[in-house]
Amino acid sequence: MVRLTRRSLLHTSIGLFAAGTFARPYIANAQAKTATFWHPQGFVPQEDESLHEFVADYQKMSGNTIDLSIVPFAPLRQKIISAITSGVVPDLIGTTPPETLPLQAWDDKLVDVSDIVEQQKAKLLPIAAASAYCYNNTTKKHSYYGVPYQGSVVPFHIWRTLVEKAGFKESDIPDKWDAFIDFFKPIQKKLQEQGMRHTYATAFVVSTIGNDPTNTFQQFMIAYGGKDIVTKDGKFNGGDAKVREGVTKAVERLASLYKDGYIPPSSINWNDADDNNAFHSKLCVMDFDGTISTELGMLAKQKDEYNDVITAAPPKMNDGSQMPVQFGTNNLIIPKGAKNVEVAKEIAKYMSQPDVNGKFLKGGAGRWLPVYPETVKTDPFWTDAKRDPHVPPYVDEAFGGRELVPFYYIYNPAWAKVRSEHPFNVAMHEVTKGNAKSTEAVDVAFKRINEIFATYQMKA
Amino acid sequence: MADIAHSPQVLPRREFGTISQARWWRGHLQGSEYAWALAFCIPYVAVFFAFVVYPVAFGLWMGSDPALYPQLFSDPIYWETVVNTALFLGIAINVKLFLALLLSGFFMRRGWWVKGLLMIFVLPWAVPALPTYISIHWMLNGEWGLVNNLLWHVFGINGPDWLTERWSALASVMTSHVWKWLPFWTVILLAGRMAIPTDIQEAAKVDGATGFRMFVHVNFPLIANLYFICTLLSTIFSLGDFNVVTFVSGGGPADSTHVLATLGIRYAFDLSQPRLGVAAVITALPLLIPLVIMLMRKFKTSQVQL
Repeated sequence: MVRLTRRSLLHTSIGLFAAGTFARPYIANAQAKTATFWHPQGFVPQEDESLHEFVADYQKMSGNTIDLSIVPFAPLRQKIISAITSGVVPDLIGTTPPETLPLQAWDDKLVDVSDIVEQQKAKLLPIAAASAYCYNNTTKKHSYYGVPYQGSVVPFHIWRTLVEKAGFKESDIPDKWDAFIDFFKPIQKKLQEQGMRHTYATAFVVSTIGNDPTNTFQQFMIAYGGKDIVTKDGKFNGGDAKVREGVTKAVERLASLYKDGYIPPSSINWNDADDNNAFHSKLCVMDFDGTISTELGMLAKQKDEYNDVITAAPPKMNDGSQMPVQFGTNNLIIPKGAKNVEVAKEIAKYMSQPDVNGKFLKGGAGRWLPVYPETVKTDPFWTDAKRDPHVPPYVDEAFGGRELVPFYYIYNPAWAKVRSEHPFNVAMHEVTKGNAKSTEAVDVAFKRINEIFATYQMKA
Repeated sequence: MADIAHSPQVLPRREFGTISQARWWRGHLQGSEYAWALAFCIPYVAVFFAFVVYPVAFGLWMGSDPALYPQLFSDPIYWETVVNTALFLGIAINVKLFLALLLSGFFMRRGWWVKGLLMIFVLPWAVPALPTYISIHWMLNGEWGLVNNLLWHVFGINGPDWLTERWSALASVMTSHVWKWLPFWTVILLAGRMAIPTDIQEAAKVDGATGFRMFVHVNFPLIANLYFICTLLSTIFSLGDFNVVTFVSGGGPADSTHVLATLGIRYAFDLSQPRLGVAAVITALPLLIPLVIMLMRKFKTSQVQL
């Protein structure tokens, strides 16, 4: 019989600890076919269900396992930054926000996935492929660091019932920018006279949090001619007179809408979901918000009013020419330090097959747009107005021949910083409070943007 | 007995010299006793290193790049935040503690209804912070919030937009903080008052001290030390308080009501600059460290005080 002594117990414990330490790599290898995948939670349940279905399909096809974490988009942003900072990373991430890709690529924190993107590049929407082509400040070269899998544009959402309640018809809505915006002013007045004390013309987000304020400002800037604020080679183009005029007019216009009470005062504090909520509660007649999450969000609680909303692309420019619209792309990224890069690449490759990608996006109720134009052409889901009143106009905004303007961080990650700091909305508030003239406020904003761009110099 | 006799604390200096250095270092443990002692200590030391030393050292390392600080100080929002933090600590903490001092006197009164009122009074502290702060945020909404709707329906007036202007938003944040934490500090000071020996108060009464004079000359001097420690502790806690600003004002409007704790989070996660976020929080250390030192010195006081 073996006699257990304190010394033998200590020795055995130390031995087991050492054995466990040395055995660990072999245990890890035994699980080499499992990849961790972090993905943002959908705005509607169908998105998550479709993701689960994609995962199940992949697992069945490959025999590998995906350890999927679906996380709300704001916490996921924090989780991604914490993981990459600490070095304990998952194998695959659905980027949120999308600018995570250029920022982390700049810092050499992502795995090069050119082998996947190059295979599909010919089929991809060019602006989607460009979104993944990022500059690495360590290698001093551009390369593909993301696999595009979801697209989006920013449509207007309009309560048809409120327009009619104010005595107007849908056909009365003007098709030029300034007239379009101004159309909603008398509607506000008439609705307030009818007792809707807190119903506003618009739900433009003018805060300094999240994505919506920048998307809104940029569309105003584009409408007034400031589209080329960042050049394709990643330079800030604030010295261009046309750009400066576009920015100044956008600042003035939004400041005057806010000051004159055509935007809810609380919009100054809104985060990305708040304008959706404001729209749903009819706090405003019209909203400008990315994707059709506003409409799809009504399916759960306000299904009977789903058809009362108009989804519309931005109207024409004031001179009657076609309005360029903003197109965003979400990518799958593989952080450096991932344990199962091969499996992660295989999953990303599977997602980049147009039929698989199309099925995934369709399953998500069409909130996100395909990045493969053939998907839209071959599946009536995307174009049949009888099936759904919102998906076709949303698809048309992206694929109907309008010029697509990317979110400028794809040209230079400095713009991701600009988006986060919201210098234009700060300028707008300075003008609103009477602290500065619009030109002075724009000067301050441009100075700050120049400072940010100075820290992101790219080799030609 | 032998162990006590060999203790270095009780041995005369010359006898201590006779104990071998190694044995003194080992605390008089012999052979396997020493190994066991080490084995039992290792988990605690490991936990201490993993959850105290490592996070602090990692944080300091993240904020150690001197280039971060010019970047931080060039941001106008940072200086606005420093002012907000100073106002928050200077006003909210002192108003809260002063009210707690007064209320603790009220709750010393006898009567079942006072005890019942105390139970209701501690409710804000007892309920979870996040839902209540979010409720306050909604209540103060200018368009559809409870407060402005009441003002409209009862008095027919349009209430102000509480959270869309810097000073009213900051005042809302401070008021929410006071509302949430006042019960806690009231109970602490109440406990302090209850510990004052009744014979001292009775002696003062015999000498003619009542009401305000009793408070100024007897009660307050006896709990002054406690009051000061509470103020220090509350300042230290509140310097890192992230919840109230995040959920009441969200740091808005236009990032004008941040405090250092929330600004750090903004830099780290909204601007994807975790090192700058840590640097922002590190700039609170020149205030935090003296406060902790003062607190420690207070704990070392040898005078008999509450």
